[in-house]
Order: sequence, then structure tokens, then C-alpha cells
Amino acid sequence: MSSPLLEIEGLSGSFRSPNGALTPVLHDVSFAVPRGTVTAIVGETGSGKSLTALSILGIQPPTFQRSAGRILFDGRDLLTLKPEEMRGIRGRRISIVFQDARAALNPVFTVGRQLADVHRLHHGGSASRAMKRTIEALRAVSIPEPERRARQYPHEFSGGMAQRAMIALAALVCEPELLILDEPTTGLDVTIQAAIMELIGDLVRERGLTACLITHDLGVVAETCDRVVVMNAGRVVETGTTEAIFTRPRQDYTRRLLAASQLGETPEMIEA
Amino acid sequence: MTRAPLAWSMRIGLCILGAYVALALISLVWTPYDPLSPGVGDSFLPPSVEFPLGTDRLGSDVLSRLMAGTQYNLGIALVAVILALVIGSALGVVAGYYGGATDIAISRSVEIFQAFPGVLFAMLVVKAVGPGVLNIILVLSFIGIPDYARLARAEVQSRRNWPYAEAARMVGNRSWQVAFRHLLPNSMGPLLAFTSINAAFVSLVTASLGFLGLGLNPNTPEWGNMIARGQDGVMTGEWWVSFFPGLAILGMTGAFYLLGDALADLADPRRRR
Amino acid sequence: MRAEPYVVLRTSGLTKLYPVGGSRRLVALSGVDIDLAEGETLALVGESGSGKSTFARCALRLVEPSDGDVLINGRSIRSLGALGLAELYGEVQMVFQDPNASLNPRMTVRQVVHEPLRLHLRMPFAKREKRAIELMEMVGLTPAHLDRYPHELSGGQRQRVGIARALAAEPNIVILDEPTASLDVSVRGQMLELLKRLQAELKLAYLFISHDLQVVRHMADRVAVMYLGGIVESGRTEDVFARPLHPYTRALLSAAPVARWGVKRQRLRLAGEIPSPIDPPDACRLVGRCPMQQPACTTRRPPLIDAGGGHAVACPVVLA
Repeated sequence: MSSPLLEIEGLSGSFRSPNGALTPVLHDVSFAVPRGTVTAIVGETGSGKSLTALSILGIQPPTFQRSAGRILFDGRDLLTLKPEEMRGIRGRRISIVFQDARAALNPVFTVGRQLADVHRLHHGGSASRAMKRTIEALRAVSIPEPERRARQYPHEFSGGMAQRAMIALAALVCEPELLILDEPTTGLDVTIQAAIMELIGDLVRERGLTACLITHDLGVVAETCDRVVVMNAGRVVETGTTEAIFTRPRQDYTRRLLAASQLGETPEMIEA
Repeated sequence: MTRAPLAWSMRIGLCILGAYVALALISLVWTPYDPLSPGVGDSFLPPSVEFPLGTDRLGSDVLSRLMAGTQYNLGIALVAVILALVIGSALGVVAGYYGGATDIAISRSVEIFQAFPGVLFAMLVVKAVGPGVLNIILVLSFIGIPDYARLARAEVQSRRNWPYAEAARMVGNRSWQVAFRHLLPNSMGPLLAFTSINAAFVSLVTASLGFLGLGLNPNTPEWGNMIARGQDGVMTGEWWVSFFPGLAILGMTGAFYLLGDALADLADPRRRR
Repeated sequence: MRAEPYVVLRTSGLTKLYPVGGSRRLVALSGVDIDLAEGETLALVGESGSGKSTFARCALRLVEPSDGDVLINGRSIRSLGALGLAELYGEVQMVFQDPNASLNPRMTVRQVVHEPLRLHLRMPFAKREKRAIELMEMVGLTPAHLDRYPHELSGGQRQRVGIARALAAEPNIVILDEPTASLDVSVRGQMLELLKRLQAELKLAYLFISHDLQVVRHMADRVAVMYLGGIVESGRTEDVFARPLHPYTRALLSAAPVARWGVKRQRLRLAGEIPSPIDPPDACRLVGRCPMQQPACTTRRPPLIDAGGGHAVACPVVLA
């Protein structure tokens, strides 16, 4: 059994307000993301799930002050790395997909150019080769007519298509070992959401990626994820396999969250 | 409920402005000498214990005139700015909320007017209708109206389809009530922030008109007039006659600029803590 | 003889077109007919672009419909002037999706709740204050909340204020526009229970607009599924969920995420994405995406066909 790709140990920290007061927001957050799995971090508003994810990449808001903890990626503590070492990891070995894909794309460049630029940055090579790889990546995430789509601007993409392009960028163009997905389907329609989640599951399995899915929606988790980390108010409440969390939750908070997510539906109602 | 501490710049602005207000109020009941009468001392006396800011060519006390002038310069600025704010915002709210032909009529008039240089316009009008406090106030507020109208229009237009505007209609407000009671108060931030810039501009133009002899009666102790009266002395060494009113204008203009966002803060409950 | 339930809100042929340059038109809503009976909950379900929010706004004339009529408590609102509309909003109210955007940030909760009491019911201050306290308790807040500003409340508390505001005017119809979409799941359940309790106490008719099938199933007596500006299927909630007929409804139901372990469903996939609503052809709107498409589907737009028991579907293919 190899060591987990990512291990967060005792991460704690506070937000500093302009007048210097500290509000604790993360309390001794610890969990591991084993290689080749999709691990979900589930929590409601204010649970600290996004802050934890952003901390992995070192892109947490500047008002956040860490007081303790380590983030071990492939055995190295990311928090001790120099900025230039971190740049070598960010986007190359760890990449992220944000919630609002269209906001994450630059509106004045074509989608293809943006992906190709990142490809050249990471892998070098000629512009035409990068564009060819970009089009292959767009095709791999089931964007129809990828040659034409690559020449379009972000505003010409629907929310679902833009999210596919972002996944192509983060998962295929960057070729990372760890893919962080921060609420990738929030705000998308359910039919689109289902397709995106399927795509994520396929990519992880086919390419041997490790993924960390940040979400508030337990419904999204059940079908796609291998492991679940439940967070509440800056603490890890419970971790376990998806099956264990859904069928044998040990903590009261997990049980309440599950009950609220199921809204009194019985299994028979769903099978019907 | 307490407010967040104001930035230092705003505190300084408020202090300076407060000092001017105090000066204006004091001058209503007391000045060291009669500001209007010449010959209270010899002409061109340099600053001394007897005349702290010296005397001018006619032997009037510069300090007394400066104090009395605060009434004019501060009063004109405040009244002109408030008038422009009220009229301009009202026009902007109507244009922004109702849109269509109303909007086109108001917006085009405002644009045509804005094509004129404001100071030139003020000079022409004052020349035509004659000097006087009321005329100057009206002209200066008129110059400010287009800016307020455009700001208010943009703010209201961006908010008119917000859910809280719809909600306001649903609870029984008529459209003018939605526009003026719900949308306008939420648009006040940028408008109030602009009043500080506008007030600074108005103070400068008031003084400029006075300096050019287009403002009030030349004997009125308005700061622009006072600079004009002392301009010969600048060359011959009697610097104090023009210098102190100039400093007063600089201080007031600066104070208005410094106020900036403080005004916007005062109107917004979200910025209170 | 069985008495027909009294219809409090009926739309017939409600249509909204937006000109988009030249002679082209964006069809946001095309000929929507619904009946909402006294005291019942009718859910309008659809994804973004389905026209469900436009429908709510046209039914209240917050947005002027291009065609069609709306009867509210038996009265046509089509020709109402500004005064008549203001009066109408005493009978039908709305709870908005985002309580953060629908509360005026500069008004305290007291001002928010007093406004409809003052404008609709013309109550004097003392009576308003008494009623405001009652309303606060009705929605699970305390009188102390009256002095707060919206930014000082949590999302759930804000939505409760939105509900109190809607109920203050004493309407018999409430349009709920995605009332739980911006809330955490743990708050969502409480909010739905509150809405159910208020409905029973005050005999309210709810038009419940949502994209969340789980919430709809929990709340609604009847469901109407919307796609690209029109209703594709309607019926009693249990019928539609147990026996969805329209391919779009099936795709929607099979895509809904389920927070439960080991649920493996047959997923019905639609090809591509929602097509442009600009100048759509006279054909079934699902053409090009539908796995059951027949040549006849492209020749005209199928009307809603009765499938028995009040269940209707705009697809002749599934009924054939």
C-alpha cells in the first residue's frame, strides 16, 4: 500500500480582520487523499472546505493566517516550499477547476488559445502542436466540433461547455497528479451536472488521476466518489468510504446532513 | 451600533471643514475689525500682533475679511452642491427608472449641456444676468446637475430589475415610490462621494469668478475678490493680502477632497459595525 | 355532484417574446396554460432557460406579457392600471430566490415588514407593530430581529423575513421562486416545513418554481415540467414521478443526484444542450436531443395530450 498522494495534518488558522482581530476558521483539519481515488470534501457554508482546498494550492485569501499544520503532497510539505518551488507544482502537479468556469476564462482570448498557451507553458513545443493537443483535449471531454469550438470566445460557451473546457485544461492539458474540483457543478442544470460528474469519474479512472471534489451536495458525492470527508464549522466531522458515510454514519452531524439531503425520500421512491 | 473608524484622511477633512464652519459662525457675531470698513489701519501693514494677517491696500483688516468671507465661500459651495445633488439625482432617477422617451429626453439634454465648458458657461451667465449670491449659486449648481444626473441614472438603471425593486412593487409601492424610496437611497454612495469633488470644484470656481471681477460686489470680502485686490502687492512684496485668502481656498478645496468616501459611508448601514 | 375546486390563478396562452434585433424574436414563454386551485401547491419545474421565472413575472405583470391572459381570483389582470396592480399585489405575493438580493440593504426588518402593512392594509403604526411581531413569530423569528438589517441575518433568517413580507399583505396566492435554492441543505428542510405549515394555517395556494426535483416532490400536489418556454408534461406529483412520460421529464428525473448509497439508475441521456430560443421552428422543442425522435416530431409542435387521470404530456410518441 503506497502512501496517500495528499495528506493534510492538523491544519488550523484564522481570518484576520482589518483591526487585527482573529476569527478562527480551521481547527485541526486532517485527512488523506489516497492515490487514484476521488475524495469528496463535503460541507455547508462556512465549513472551511473551500479554504482547505485553496490552501493546498497556496491560493488562500491573504487575510487567512495559518497557525499550525502540514500539507504533505507526495511526501513533501507544501507549506515549507519557496514561492518558485510552489509555482512548479501549481498547475503542473496539482491543478484546480473552479465553480464559475466562464469567470475563470479570459474573455478576450479564444478558448483554444488559452488552453494552448497553458500547454506550451507546461510542455513546450510549437504553437501548432499545442493547438492540436488542445483540440484533442476538448474532444476528450466530449465538446462537439472541437476545432470550431477552439476558435470561439468564452462568452460563446454555455456554462456546461465552459466547465468541460476547464476540465480539459485542468485535467488533460496540465496533466496533473492531483485534480482539485471546487464545486464544479454548482449552478449548472441537473442534466448537465450529471454529465459533468460522469466525465470527471471517467477521466479519473482512465488516466489514473487523483481527485479532490469540494461540494455542498451529498447527491453528487454518492455516485462518483470513493471517499468522503465531512466538514462542519472548520472541523473534520467524519471521514470514511462513501459507502460507510452513507450507510453507517457515526457522527450525529453526518446523519443530520444526510437526512436533510434526502428530504424524507425513501429508497423505493427513488428506484421507482 | 458603532461605526467603523474613519480613515485619517477623512478625519482631517472633517476637522478642517469643521474649522471653516466655526469660523463662519463666529464671523456672524464677531470679527476683530469691521470687515467692510476701509482704513481700520494703514494700507499694506504686514502681519503683526495688532493685525495678525496684515491689512490690504484700503487699510482693511485681512483676518476680519477672511473670516467674513467664509460665509460666502462656504455657503455658496454648500448650497450650490445640495441644489445640484437634489435636482440632478431626481432627473437621473427618473431617466434611469422609466427609460424610453423620458430617458432619451433627459440624457440628451444633459449631454448637450455637458459639451459646454462649465467655467466658461458660468462666466457668460454671470456676465449676462449680473452678479449676486443667488445668481452664482444657481449657475454653479446648474453646472453640477449633469454629473449627478448621469451618476444617478447609471446607478438606478443597474438596480431597477433587481429583486428588491420587484419586491418593493409587490408590497404595494407605486413606481415613483420604488424609484425614489428604494432605488435612490441605494444609489446614494457614489452620489455623495461625488459631492466632495463637486464641492471642491464649486469653491474654486466661486473664487475664480470673484478674482475675475465677475462675482460679487468687489468690496464683498469673498476670497476671490480678496486675492484680486491683493494681486498688485504680490509683485511688490505685500504678499499677505493675496496669500491668506489663497490659503483659505486651498484648505477648503483640500478638505472637500479629503472627505471623499466618508460621506458615502455615512449613508450605508452595511459599512457600520 | 362533485364541486370543482376554485381556481385562484389561471393563465391562458401566456406568451413572452423579446425582440433581439431585426425581426428575430426570443421566445421566452410560448402559450402557457396553468390552473392553480385554492390551497394547493403546483410546482413549475425546469432548468435554466425553461421560462419558469419569466412565467412568474408575466403572471404578476412585473414583466409585461406579449400575449395571453391571467385571471387572479377570477379577475383578469390584463388591463389593470398602476393602481389596480398595486391592489392586486395584496392578493398574490412572491417569495424571491435570493433573499439577499430581494431585501433592500438599507431597510431594517421592521421597515421591510411594515411596508406592506402600511401600503396594502393601511394600518396605523401601533397596529403595524403588533402585526409585525405576530408575523415574526409566525415565520420562526423573534421581535428582536425587527431591529436588524439584512446583512446582520443568516441566509435562512433572511428568507424568513422574505416570507413574512409576502404574508403581511394577507394574500391567498404565493408564488415561491426557488425559495430554497440559495440555502444550505440543513436550512432547506426547515424552510420547506415552515412553508407547509403556513400553507395549512393560512389556506394559501402556492405556485412553487424550482429546478430541484427532490424539493418539488416533497412540496407539490401537482407538477408542470417546463422546457424552452412551454409545458411538456403535467400531472399529479406522484404520477409524474412514478410514471414520467415525456422523454425530457425522464431525462431530468434520471439525472437528479440522489444522496443515497448504491442507487444505480438507468440514465436517459439527451444529446447536446438546450437549443437557442431565438425563432424556434414549429416542431417539438426536443428535436435533435431526443432518443425517441420520429419524423413527425419535426413537422409541428405537439400540444399537451391527456394521458388519463389529469396526467398530460406533449409527446404523441410516448402515448402511441
